[in-house]
Amino acid sequence: MLQIESLKVFHGPIEAVHGIDINVPEGKCVTLLGTNGAGKTSTLSSITGTARATGTIRLDGEDISRLSIEERCKLGIALSPEGRRIFANLTVYDNLIMGGATRRDKKQLTADIAAWFVQFPVLGERSSQRAGTLSGGEQQMLAIARALVSNPRILLLDEPSLGLAPQITAKIFEIIRDLKTLGMTILLVEQNASAAIEVSDYVYVLNTGTISSHGDASKFGDGTKLVDELTGVHR
Amino acid sequence: MNWSLNKSQRDGLIGSAVLSLIILALVGAYYIWGESYQARILYATFVNLLVVVGLQVFMGNANITSFSHSAFMGIAAYVAAICVTPAAMKAISLPLAPWGLNAFELSPIVSALLALGITGVLGLLTGLFIARLTGVGVTIVSIAILVIVHSIFLHRTDIFKGNQAFFGIPKIFDLPHITILVIVAIFVARLFRESALGVQLRACADDEVGARAMGVNVYRIRLIAWVVGTLFFATAGIAYAFFLGTISARPFYFNFVFLTVAMLILGGLRSVTGAVFGTLLITIGLEIVRWLETGPTLLSIKLPQMLGLSGLLLGVVIVAVMAFLPNGIMGNSEIEEVLKRKT
Repeated sequence: MLQIESLKVFHGPIEAVHGIDINVPEGKCVTLLGTNGAGKTSTLSSITGTARATGTIRLDGEDISRLSIEERCKLGIALSPEGRRIFANLTVYDNLIMGGATRRDKKQLTADIAAWFVQFPVLGERSSQRAGTLSGGEQQMLAIARALVSNPRILLLDEPSLGLAPQITAKIFEIIRDLKTLGMTILLVEQNASAAIEVSDYVYVLNTGTISSHGDASKFGDGTKLVDELTGVHR
Repeated sequence: MNWSLNKSQRDGLIGSAVLSLIILALVGAYYIWGESYQARILYATFVNLLVVVGLQVFMGNANITSFSHSAFMGIAAYVAAICVTPAAMKAISLPLAPWGLNAFELSPIVSALLALGITGVLGLLTGLFIARLTGVGVTIVSIAILVIVHSIFLHRTDIFKGNQAFFGIPKIFDLPHITILVIVAIFVARLFRESALGVQLRACADDEVGARAMGVNVYRIRLIAWVVGTLFFATAGIAYAFFLGTISARPFYFNFVFLTVAMLILGGLRSVTGAVFGTLLITIGLEIVRWLETGPTLLSIKLPQMLGLSGLLLGVVIVAVMAFLPNGIMGNSEIEEVLKRKT
């Protein structure tokens, strides 16, 4: 569904990603693994259109790499950003309304939000509460739900487990698994290798701006070997 | 366009209705117990209220301070005044006016619409620059707009009469007119806050990068909010000119800017309720201070004359609120939320 070819991403004069190819098939969960500064978030930013990039990005065969952020949202690209970036002073409900900012069918939007409240009951209970008062895990759920409200063709998740306690992380990955069962196409960026590999179908390993290895998730086992490689640990 | 309201918009209607009842209660109290000089105070309060509620639209939702509102108010006041004042009167007051400005007169409604239109267009033109800027950039440009407009008022004496009074404007408005305007303004500002645009604007204030990533066109929504705000200021300017009968350049400058900004900050710029309460509180406070300034006898103690006390206290209020209540009295809350929490 999403095909990326020879993608280079720039931050000012610095080239953060040096020409990578990624393929995300429909209904699959693909993970980008890598350490800090490997270029994972840069890659996602180039897909949503917030970072300057060269190369082609195709959604269902159509090149979207020249489109504005807004147009890409409308075509069905949704991001749950790194560090969640929820709107702390808005209510949970208004945060979700924001997720549907590019949607025209406002009535259907309200119905969809109600439907996601069934999927995320915690958010439903707190719909009129200010988002800043939620716990870290709840904020992460809100960030994911907010992305889903835009009715995306593909969901980009940037480090959803960042800064969360292990039990909460487990819960977030459970949500990702549920979304996969619902048929959602997911591109996941993670540092938590073992959990990410477990939930995904295909894995790309990003190392200082290039893909150092990729393959079916099963090839990476439980990820410990990979983590050792990436962090330079020899057991 | 579909007009079905979501929950926060329905709450917005309730909140606006409660605020309107407070406004109506004030007017009612005046008609029952008030003395005639208090009509002027109440009218002036409502003009301020129009401005402060208008300020909330851009400044409150986008959380960007701007200082040009009294310029737009002045433009509308002068346009309305020049259009509506009888030609015979303008022949005396503006003998040197160019472009035949002293040779025509229009009906109050046409004059008001023209004033709204011209101010709106100027709002749009300035907005094209303002909306591209963020934070302190907006503040600086808005001060520049204020200073430019004021110098034009001051130095084109053939049109605006500068610091001299522009007199002879027919008295068209009275308390009932502005009461209706204020109530409409409260509803419009509140529904704007809860509209999709208002939510997007507030989201940008929280996290602009995040909002952009949701596909929000930040430039477009800032521009719309800016123009809507200038229309509020224009309404206030027209109401001001149509009541007082005389205007001059001086009231449309820094003093008024600071007064209204202090009102918004005290009440809490994030909510329309804050704008309304801030205006009412500061007005009441200033009336008490003005009385103290004259050196009245209180509990048989003769107080000294303290001229300038009001300006001093206004500064103290801004500093104190910034230090102890950075989000103002209301913070993020609207009146119906507070009432619900109490019950």
